[in-house]
Amino acid sequence: MEVSFSREVEQLRQGAGETFHGEGILAITKALLQSGVAYVGGYQGAPVSHLLDVMVQAGDYMAELGVQVEACSNEASAAAMLGASIHYPLRGAVTWKSVVGTNVAADALSNLASPGVVGGALIVVGEDYGEGASVIQERTHAFAMKSSLLLLDPRPQLPNMVRMVEHGFQLSEACNTPAILQLRVRACHVRGSFECADNRAPAMSRKALRDEPANFDYEKLAHPPATFRQEKLKTDQRLPAARRFIVERGLNEIFAGKREDIGIIVQGGLHNALVRALQQFNLADAFGDAEFPILALNVTYPLVSEQIADFCRGKRAVLVVEEGQPEFIEQEIATVLRRMDVNTAIHGKDLLQMAGEYTVEVIAQGLLKFLVRHAADVSVAGAQDWLAANAMRRKVVAEQLAAPLPPRPPQFCTGCPERPVFSALKLAQQNVGPVHIAADIGCHSFATFEPFGFGHTILGYGMSLASRAGVSPMLKRRALAVMGDGGFWHNGLLTGVESALFNNDDAVLLIMKNGYTSATGTQDIISTPDDETKATAENKHQSLVDRNHTIEDTLKGIGVTWLRTVPSYEVDGMRRTLEEAFTTDVGGLKVIIAEGECQLERQRRVKPWLAGLLKAGKRVVRVKYGVDEDVCSGDHSCIRLSGCPTLTLKDSGDPLKLDPVATVIDGCVGCGLCGENAHAATLCPSFYRVDIVQNPGLGERLLSALRRGIIGMFRKS
Amino acid sequence: MNTNQPITILIAALGGEGGGVLAEWLVELAIRAGHPAQATSIPGVAQRTGATTYYVEIHPQTVEELGGRNPVMSLSPVPGCVDLMAASELLEAVRAIQNGFVSRERTLLLTSSQRTLTTFEKLVPGDGRFDSQRLLEVAASNSRQLATFDVEGTARTAGTVPSAVLFGAIAASGVLPFERSAFEEVIRASGRGVEASLRGFGMAWERCRAALGDAGAVPPAPTPDLVALGHARVVEFQDAAYGELYLQRVARLRAAEQGADPQGRHAGALTREGARFLALWMAFDDVVRVADLKSRSSRFARVRAEAGAKPGDIVRIADHFKPGLAELAGLLPESLAQRLLAIESRRWRNGDPPLAIAVKLRADSLSGFLLLRLMASLRGMRRRGRRYAEEQALIERWLSAVEAAASRGWEHGFELALCARLIKGYGATNERAREDLRHIVEHLSGGDAVDIRRAREAALADEAGTALDLALRQAGAPPRPIRAVPVKWIRHARSRQ
Repeated sequence: MEVSFSREVEQLRQGAGETFHGEGILAITKALLQSGVAYVGGYQGAPVSHLLDVMVQAGDYMAELGVQVEACSNEASAAAMLGASIHYPLRGAVTWKSVVGTNVAADALSNLASPGVVGGALIVVGEDYGEGASVIQERTHAFAMKSSLLLLDPRPQLPNMVRMVEHGFQLSEACNTPAILQLRVRACHVRGSFECADNRAPAMSRKALRDEPANFDYEKLAHPPATFRQEKLKTDQRLPAARRFIVERGLNEIFAGKREDIGIIVQGGLHNALVRALQQFNLADAFGDAEFPILALNVTYPLVSEQIADFCRGKRAVLVVEEGQPEFIEQEIATVLRRMDVNTAIHGKDLLQMAGEYTVEVIAQGLLKFLVRHAADVSVAGAQDWLAANAMRRKVVAEQLAAPLPPRPPQFCTGCPERPVFSALKLAQQNVGPVHIAADIGCHSFATFEPFGFGHTILGYGMSLASRAGVSPMLKRRALAVMGDGGFWHNGLLTGVESALFNNDDAVLLIMKNGYTSATGTQDIISTPDDETKATAENKHQSLVDRNHTIEDTLKGIGVTWLRTVPSYEVDGMRRTLEEAFTTDVGGLKVIIAEGECQLERQRRVKPWLAGLLKAGKRVVRVKYGVDEDVCSGDHSCIRLSGCPTLTLKDSGDPLKLDPVATVIDGCVGCGLCGENAHAATLCPSFYRVDIVQNPGLGERLLSALRRGIIGMFRKS
Repeated sequence: MNTNQPITILIAALGGEGGGVLAEWLVELAIRAGHPAQATSIPGVAQRTGATTYYVEIHPQTVEELGGRNPVMSLSPVPGCVDLMAASELLEAVRAIQNGFVSRERTLLLTSSQRTLTTFEKLVPGDGRFDSQRLLEVAASNSRQLATFDVEGTARTAGTVPSAVLFGAIAASGVLPFERSAFEEVIRASGRGVEASLRGFGMAWERCRAALGDAGAVPPAPTPDLVALGHARVVEFQDAAYGELYLQRVARLRAAEQGADPQGRHAGALTREGARFLALWMAFDDVVRVADLKSRSSRFARVRAEAGAKPGDIVRIADHFKPGLAELAGLLPESLAQRLLAIESRRWRNGDPPLAIAVKLRADSLSGFLLLRLMASLRGMRRRGRRYAEEQALIERWLSAVEAAASRGWEHGFELALCARLIKGYGATNERAREDLRHIVEHLSGGDAVDIRRAREAALADEAGTALDLALRQAGAPPRPIRAVPVKWIRHARSRQ
């Protein structure tokens, strides 16, 4: 990966007396070092990718501290890495995007939780829930409950988030239980500051090696009969120890209120939104001092029965503000109060919406109902007016607009090598008929949006090929599975390729070999072209993914015989290859590799290279595409075949032509797709390619002048 | 200023525009001035040119004034509680308005006057662009104050990115209690592309200040004389005689309109719009026309300018052509053309692709240029060619249908006249367009004006023609005939080797 985190790496070195300024996820990263973490692993995914990216780039410093950093091949391997803490007093942290990553890791998590840990184990998950999130179904909370893991949901202010990392490790050790630290999207990206402490080099580390492995201890195996005892330990010893620690160290925060008759229990991560909602009722000030007491749960699993009961006792009613469904926390609180015979009325999902993000407005709507029922003396008129004004404003604007605003989903980058493959797929389907397309996770899933609209299912990362196994035998035409190289290595090789080969499935697999896990921030994988190749390549524009054959070698080794590699920009060639795969008499698995390096990575090489050449006054050729506005008739079929951000529309400039014409705007990287499509699809002849030669040589200049002279004689104005 | 309330700033940007840097700068600005500040964002999958937002809160009191108390800041914007909204794109500003964030009581709205079109707007065969005027009206009537200027264009002129421009506009808005120099100091301290950023910042400052004082109503452009323009286009396309034919046809439209609307209540709209599309249709794009347009000196100048070539740069132009037998046949007389087309239909029955040669023609080279001029000089052949005859026949058919329809009512004639807008595109697209028009003329010209309009709008809305078929059925007309396609046999997956 070519993104540089040099500034962030520098921040990791900060010590006591210094102030850290930056994003939440990087504050967590720094907190890991302050807690003396010995090993770190994970699998990239928004919104927690930066944790691992920065650690990987800080390799030298990590070696200095003796910390082991591992970019794992998937979340299961990351979770399994925590096995180091079962026997050894090693603090370990792993990270991934939840709930998808937690699903992948579930097997290892379950068997990690059973024997428990002696070294603190922390799993930092990006709880990808709410606006801008890509995986909003299910809660990590369920995993914590079913595997008896601790779940931390810190109040989203950097000092508190850092505190919860340090306490998280201690808590994990105090009750021999791995802990999950969940961060919502906005908390990962929140920009704030905290006072640093010195980093702590771990006692046992890459620099301080232990002489002997731990003794054999059957009780540390997640294997029967040990598991039967471990189940008892979880409930009889570990969770009670956790509860004791939570209370003793004050992990959950109680913010006192001016009146005690009602109260609110909130997940730590939602505290700020709750305070802002209370402010709409004039029930809290800018500093969070509220009219009613608030219990902010920085630890949402396990709950401490006595703490809950103490908070509720003497109150008429308590509102539980808990995001996501179902309402695990609220149900547990209700049980606790019932058992302890505390007769406080409990509200939550009966007044607040069941699913979806708890924004300030959503919380305020629930608060309103709660106050009307239990605090009739509180004036809610102001908040009511505000909510009504919001609703009215939206209604009025919708009327003024008359039509819904078009959505703007993400799309392939300008120059993305995956776009031409889907152009070819569109053309191929025009010839052979529509095919069932099993889509996958990754940049290529942007083909599910317009102008392509490709993909019948998305079952999981690397699972496209597996997900068509039941479909393709039922269809007359062959089904297609699309997979990225990221998905191939994460999971696809085993769940898809091996299974299809073993069952001799008649299947077509299209692998997007762009060299990186691009959608998560272009992290390197085993098939990434190596640094030396990049450094020595003369033409930096060139795609270099063809230099690494790991995918091809693996496929051949496992027994794939029908294997075609097609440069992704050869639209017509790709169309023909797809058509062949769909129609050939050859049975079994057919794999097409679309080869083209991620454009983001190429641009990161190209930009400084070109800038350097220009600065030195050397010859540089820049390529751009264009559309002749007077030749374009404005039917936009080129756009329906490409969707490139820089291929757009403008007024025709011709008073006779009403419809806008196509145009290529600045930002075109000259990838060549416009020309390829014009040829492959026999589009209109309005596309042209321009090569702009800067600092041309003398011979070139003379030839050009001569040409222009002669052409000038024949020209029509 | 309410010291109990943070100053709230919502930024709408597209992935890749530097919105993250802008949020970082705003926090940096506040911290340097001693104010608590917080920013959040939701990059997520919006990273790739999708719509995204950034949210910043700055406490109006300094840390010193607060004396150790920490304000609790919200991670997400609150509807109706945004002091300043800055958008790098007009539709995204309006999206935030629709989501309820911007209020007439509180929000100063800075937005680009320009659009970056969404894919949904671009892929419509007709004009799918959202009405910008309406967006501007919504922006103006739903904010406390509005300032619009071309953010992207300003960034381009200054050689920087939209984030620096928006930073300048935010400074100029006066919503934040910081001096201009404090903003510029943050840019200087950032250390990357400082000069360009400061240039963009300065230009944005000026433009935003001007826009804040400007109501900004643009007078409508006068309507040009379309018949004169059309006549000139057709003469240029062929010759004076062809121009004469154009005028005769326009005269028929005019006569039809006068019969239907003797008082001129519609101000000659049928004639004007009919003349518009007739001219475009008569000057149809064949190889001769394309070669002519591609070899004009004005074209070379335009290409240089669009490519941003500087004096001294050499510009090479490669045109993407794929002439096929069908194009060639179009220039030949019917009998000869039929022989070529017979080859094509044989290939088609066998499931082979049409014969065509993909060429990248260097229009700036001698041979390439002369070839273009040679093709352009084949204008004389056109009149005897098959394509010419075909187009004239369909034009006549449409024209008579318009006349007949107008005799039943002005609206009927007008709606049918507008249907000539369908004719565009090349090759298969053009063929399909003509089929659509022919079908409408055949089955709807005797029907209701509303049905004709609906069918036309449907035909321009989607390429596959699903909407058109639906509109046709709703009007009681038969859907377009299903086109024959060669059958391809694919061995089924079950039969293993």
